[in-house]
Amino acid sequence: MSSDVALSELGVPGPFPRSEFHHPLDRQWLHYAFLSPGSGHAVISNLSVLGAEHQVVGAPEGWAPQRMAILLVHDPVHGWSSSQFNAVQPDRPWSAFRLPHPHATPDGFAVAAAAGSPAVDLTLSRTSRPCTSQCAPFAGDQFLRWQSEPGVRGRGTLRTPQGEVVRDVVGYHERVRGRWSWPDLGGWVFGFANAPSGGEDAESGDEQGPPPWSVVFTLIQPERPVDAVTGSVMLWRRGRMVRHFPRRRLEVAVHGELDRDRVVLVPPLAAVLATAPAPVVPRRLVISACLGADRLLLDFEAFTAARIANPSETSLRPFSVHELLGPCTVHGVVSGEPVDFRADGIVEFAGGAGD
Amino acid sequence: MTESTVAHTGARLLADTVTALSQRAPAIVAAAADHLRDIVLGLHFHDGSQATMSVRHSRLLVEQELVGAPDVEVVFDQRAMNLLFDAQRPPVEQVLPHSLDVRGRQEQVLAVWRAFTLLAQRSSGLRYVQQLWREYREQAPRLWGRIAGDAAPAVSPHGAVPTGWRATDFLATRRPLEADEAGAATIGGTVDTTPRLLWDGRRSSSWWDVRPVGDADLVDTMLACRARTNREIDDMLPDREPKPDLYDLMKSYPARQGKGLRPTLTFATCAAFGAKPEHAARAAAALELFHNGFLVHDDIADESTHRRGLPTMNAEFGNGLAVNVGDGLNLLAVDAVLANLETLGLARTLGLIQEAMHMCRESIEGQAMELGWIHRRVVPSRDEDYFTMSTKKTGWYTCISPCRMGAVCAGVTDPAVLGRFDEAFRLIGIAFQIQDDILNLVGDEALYGKEALGDLLEGKRTVMLIHLFRTASARERERLGQLLHRPRSAKTQDEAEEVLAAMRRHGSIDYAIALADRLAAAGITHFENDLDIIPENEGKAVLRQIAHYVTTRPL
Repeated sequence: MSSDVALSELGVPGPFPRSEFHHPLDRQWLHYAFLSPGSGHAVISNLSVLGAEHQVVGAPEGWAPQRMAILLVHDPVHGWSSSQFNAVQPDRPWSAFRLPHPHATPDGFAVAAAAGSPAVDLTLSRTSRPCTSQCAPFAGDQFLRWQSEPGVRGRGTLRTPQGEVVRDVVGYHERVRGRWSWPDLGGWVFGFANAPSGGEDAESGDEQGPPPWSVVFTLIQPERPVDAVTGSVMLWRRGRMVRHFPRRRLEVAVHGELDRDRVVLVPPLAAVLATAPAPVVPRRLVISACLGADRLLLDFEAFTAARIANPSETSLRPFSVHELLGPCTVHGVVSGEPVDFRADGIVEFAGGAGD
Repeated sequence: MTESTVAHTGARLLADTVTALSQRAPAIVAAAADHLRDIVLGLHFHDGSQATMSVRHSRLLVEQELVGAPDVEVVFDQRAMNLLFDAQRPPVEQVLPHSLDVRGRQEQVLAVWRAFTLLAQRSSGLRYVQQLWREYREQAPRLWGRIAGDAAPAVSPHGAVPTGWRATDFLATRRPLEADEAGAATIGGTVDTTPRLLWDGRRSSSWWDVRPVGDADLVDTMLACRARTNREIDDMLPDREPKPDLYDLMKSYPARQGKGLRPTLTFATCAAFGAKPEHAARAAAALELFHNGFLVHDDIADESTHRRGLPTMNAEFGNGLAVNVGDGLNLLAVDAVLANLETLGLARTLGLIQEAMHMCRESIEGQAMELGWIHRRVVPSRDEDYFTMSTKKTGWYTCISPCRMGAVCAGVTDPAVLGRFDEAFRLIGIAFQIQDDILNLVGDEALYGKEALGDLLEGKRTVMLIHLFRTASARERERLGQLLHRPRSAKTQDEAEEVLAAMRRHGSIDYAIALADRLAAAGITHFENDLDIIPENEGKAVLRQIAHYVTTRPL
């Protein structure tokens, strides 16, 4: 008992390369989000761990951390298909956030619904450098570390109930590690966009290398204390992060509502458990950032969303994570160089577990 | 929208706005009328135009001149015009004290102030009203003074550096959100809100915070719901022979211009209970098919010649084909209810079957009551008999069942919850039917769609007719009875005019208007009390507008 308390007060060692889970609310997830340029396919997967790895006082016999995985595949014709929270995942899933490994060394990443569909079998490789996008302490001893890597490239099979396709994808990977409960965390807005590659101009880079520009943004909105809200916009240039706009230099605005018919509730079992109240999802998101002479503006408009209903540990209200797809326009000037691209992006609006 | 040849005056802008609100957001008009009550307003605008505004029941009446001695006089100068109805600016509290000059008795001035605040705040979210005011601003900039017609700046107001835009300025001015045309949202797509900040660098607000629900635009919402339902019906109609004598004819009635009231109630109730409006598409299609099947049969029974401005099925193709088309529509309606098995599952489909059966039973019972009265040459003496017949014949399938079926689509099957729609929409349904009957007597045929005085030619037992027979002398009753009980083919237009003149003489039409208003008001009270279990959301906002439609409908 005393050793547990001591470890808890010290916080989690790490983050690299490996740290144990000591507290019932210790969490980690590996997040994967990919878009297939030009085809309208999208893949989103989240592999999560919750709880202490060792027996905690008062816990039932056979206690083990809860491991969950979910896979969503968006097909441009048939829309979203989703696994339950028990998707089959690799023992050691592909991730940049372990021991350093070289760029452009492909490795496999396969996740599949227990029912067999949807499923993805991708070969992924890094093109860009990961960076910490958030380090947020809140609500006393709770905290969250969020590490992002855009420009992940891949190729492989996407299977949905309607059939299989082989696609090139480009996207984003993250690791989030921390200790929190859903009502205390409040919610977040997060998203990314990778500028298209392979154009005729030299600026657009090759189709295997890093995207010419990548942008990742986060806004984390804990319920308390009031000054715990934090956010950032990060800009990568050919795989290297070149600018980090801190929270005081951002504005985040939303406009309009996504038509409810365009929001699909997942996983499939969630619909069976009655219709849970959920907030309306914003349709348009604009983020403006400035730092010295640098300026950046992101303009995202969603056309569809999947609402992942996560059961809350502390209330009957589910914690909803909305995965939105849509075009994203990015303009700006950074270090005197103009930034101007339009690409498909993925945005997450998460929150709504409080009473 | 307004004609280009029409003078764009302040008085006309007020009249156009009130007309638009009466059709598109009746709840706003009813709420403003509730504040104004008996106050007569004299309005003076910056361009010299004047208007008088008064209240009749829940309707706002605008005349584009000063009539009589107003209780309260209001003078708008250009600053007031700039602030009123401008969605991008703060609400009317910001109007400078000397720019909206209101004079009259203190309590009446305050009532006027409340009414204008309410009109400004609630209608500023409607796209149609925004468009109307934008057009006036372009056509008559004098009303708005110097700052009218300013185009959005091409560069950020915060500097000429590319992308120096602040987030909300960009959303409001540089590239505003366009209407979601591609999605054509059936519910909730008609209201435009201002952009809002989630984070300004210091203060945070949650994206999931519940926002005040705006007033829905009823006209646009009904159009969208009707179009979605017609698409569903088109998908269900089989592509097979015999087309000319059956399937093509089955398309005829649903394709005619209707209001789209029933599908809108179904979609809105489904959304109000938290489900996706799309889940109600097949139920809405089933309702429309049942309704059109009944109409075809009804037109045969009534020997009607016109329906929604076109010849009836029986008049054009004969009774035999018409009966068969009506049967076909009812069969297809059953198919549409059963088609929900694929999308909504067994429990909800069983609930829908139960509701559809109930609706059909009520409708045929109501039809039997009315046809029985005509057959036996009876005019009931009590309004209550008419209420029962009207609720059974039209109330259930027009108002009550569409709501209940929408709720079932959202997974609500508890009879206690479903029953909460009954009394509110029973009263609203009767009021709606009485108003329809009044419009048949005094309305414009082109707008109403049926032949003028068709109800009198058919001998339809309306509240006006019941009132006339109750108040007329025995001698008059005998003469009226002779006219009424002749077969339709033997009646002339002059005879129908004679009955109408008697109704006017005995105040039967005014009696019916007042009765409909009382029933509508009682229906609104039940709506607010009985349905308080539904949280405020875009679906309930649409239901409220429909409930108020009967209180502000121009007669």
